[in-house]
Amino acid sequence: MARYLALRIAQSLLTVFLIVSTVFVLVRLAPGDPAAAVGGPLATTEDLQAIREEMGLVDSVPQQYWHFITGLLQGDLGMSYSFREPALDVVLERLPYTITLAGAAILLTALVAIPLGVFTARRANTGWDLGANVGTIAGQSMPEFWTGIMLLTLLAVVVPIFPASGFTTWSGLVLPAVTIALLQVALISRLVHREMAANLAAPYVTVARSRGSAERALTWRYAFANSSIPVLTALGTRFASMLNGVVVVEVVFAWPGIGSLVVRALETRDYPLIQATVLVTSLLAIGVQLLVDLLYPLLDPRVRVGKAVSR
Amino acid sequence: MTSEVQAARPSAVTPDRLEHSAAALRRRASRLKIVLGSVLAGVVVVPILLANVLPLPDPLEQDLSQRRLPPFTDGHLFGTDQLGRDLLSRILHGGQVSLTIGVLAVLVSGVVGVVAGAAAGYYGRWVDAVVSRLLEAQLSVPLLLLLLLVVALFGPSITVITLVIAFAQWPEPARLTRAMVLVEREKPYVAAARVLGLRRAGVLVRHVVPNIVNQVVVVMLLLLAQAVLLESALSFLGAGVERPHPTWGRIIADGQGYITTSWWLVTLTGLVIVLLVVGVNLLGDGLRDRVSRSRGGKGEPQ
Repeated sequence: MARYLALRIAQSLLTVFLIVSTVFVLVRLAPGDPAAAVGGPLATTEDLQAIREEMGLVDSVPQQYWHFITGLLQGDLGMSYSFREPALDVVLERLPYTITLAGAAILLTALVAIPLGVFTARRANTGWDLGANVGTIAGQSMPEFWTGIMLLTLLAVVVPIFPASGFTTWSGLVLPAVTIALLQVALISRLVHREMAANLAAPYVTVARSRGSAERALTWRYAFANSSIPVLTALGTRFASMLNGVVVVEVVFAWPGIGSLVVRALETRDYPLIQATVLVTSLLAIGVQLLVDLLYPLLDPRVRVGKAVSR
Repeated sequence: MTSEVQAARPSAVTPDRLEHSAAALRRRASRLKIVLGSVLAGVVVVPILLANVLPLPDPLEQDLSQRRLPPFTDGHLFGTDQLGRDLLSRILHGGQVSLTIGVLAVLVSGVVGVVAGAAAGYYGRWVDAVVSRLLEAQLSVPLLLLLLLVVALFGPSITVITLVIAFAQWPEPARLTRAMVLVEREKPYVAAARVLGLRRAGVLVRHVVPNIVNQVVVVMLLLLAQAVLLESALSFLGAGVERPHPTWGRIIADGQGYITTSWWLVTLTGLVIVLLVVGVNLLGDGLRDRVSRSRGGKGEPQ
């Protein structure tokens, strides 16, 4: 167990290191001068040179990389050009907003998608099944930015129930979370349906039924318990990828999270900020996935950590 | 029960029962999805393909005296935008960009995915290790950020956007192909072909891949739907094909500011995207039901 954990953490750190290094190289290949973005249109050539020196951009790329790695190990990711604050602080300041939004969205998704998937799987090959099938296909076919704008217009402008943007009151969380959940419910409920349908048709359920187990127990204690691992994995993966910034939805709702920060950092060529964002979000995403893996043995006693369950 | 049954004992399997059997219902459901999907996708795709032939105003022609006309005025079926350009014409020409990118991206990701997945599944060992690591690593990459970065880096040309979307999508065909090849390579015909003297690569290309390619092709339709969505999201965020080409994401991003006064700019453009993507998804889903039925319906990848 301890050995497995150490191996997994080492692997994860290596992955993060590779991602961060790739991004380091990519941003430096990109056209556009960060000094020009900071200095503004009125900056003279001397001003720009001074800014570049201050930012450490006159060094060669390998030198900058060495500087970046040594800083990284000391928890120093450089100053954000546009915020004039340590880049890491800027990201950590935004992080709670993204976690809140992603958490609310995934909770809403689980609360809707699991009952929906179970319900339709119990009624396989009926009109309910087909209806839900077509409905979820429609759900995963709508661009998030469009549903976001439509919800915003209908429920914040035409009928002002919710605030239109930002996060000043908790009701501001509703529309962005619903926008994200619309897509995620479609994806997750299809998975729940598929897993449940396969398990409900399995011989062990027939045996339990013939022994007189109640349908409710068959559904939840048998079939759902056996479907929980793939479902949990999918929810975990979705949550992890949301921590990378629910970019589109955050932009639509002017949500002060990582996603809208990323778009701004790219526009201003804010290298340290881009790097800090990538580092923090990949660490979090990988951490969540590791956590999900470690939860498996709690859900299914047949699973030993580090070994795949054979089915 | 019916008189056609000549057996001494009437069979319990009546035509009526067959009609209501699960298999028949599934078949009807998949037929419904295929028909509905083809119709919805066709309603959008056919006008897009004919956009250059249809009697429409030029998508770039501005007329500042005709700004933001509502639908059905002065021959503008979908109205006009903030610069007086015909919205329908812009949507259809934007659709050409979306479909071109979508189809090309799916072809690239499909070929890369099938090759990588087939090699990983068939050869195993280090090939599998490398491909599986790459597939895993991609799960933890902040994908959209990386895509935006690459588009900023190499410029928003059709080629770059196509490759970026293909990069986002290759894991799906790769994972599916790998899983199917793993099953397929254990089948007797593979051993038989080897015994007959065919080399390993020959078995893979001539026998294994043709046996699975049907199911991969069906998944490509679902990938096409995703590619169209991803392209519109990128162009919404400002990483779309450069102006003056109209793109769906940019029409919506530009129209967002006028939503309260000119609802049609965002609403109609979005509806066209939804129609196309729902249609393609329904078609792909229906075809997949049909193709994977023999495999117990477990062909759906994540």
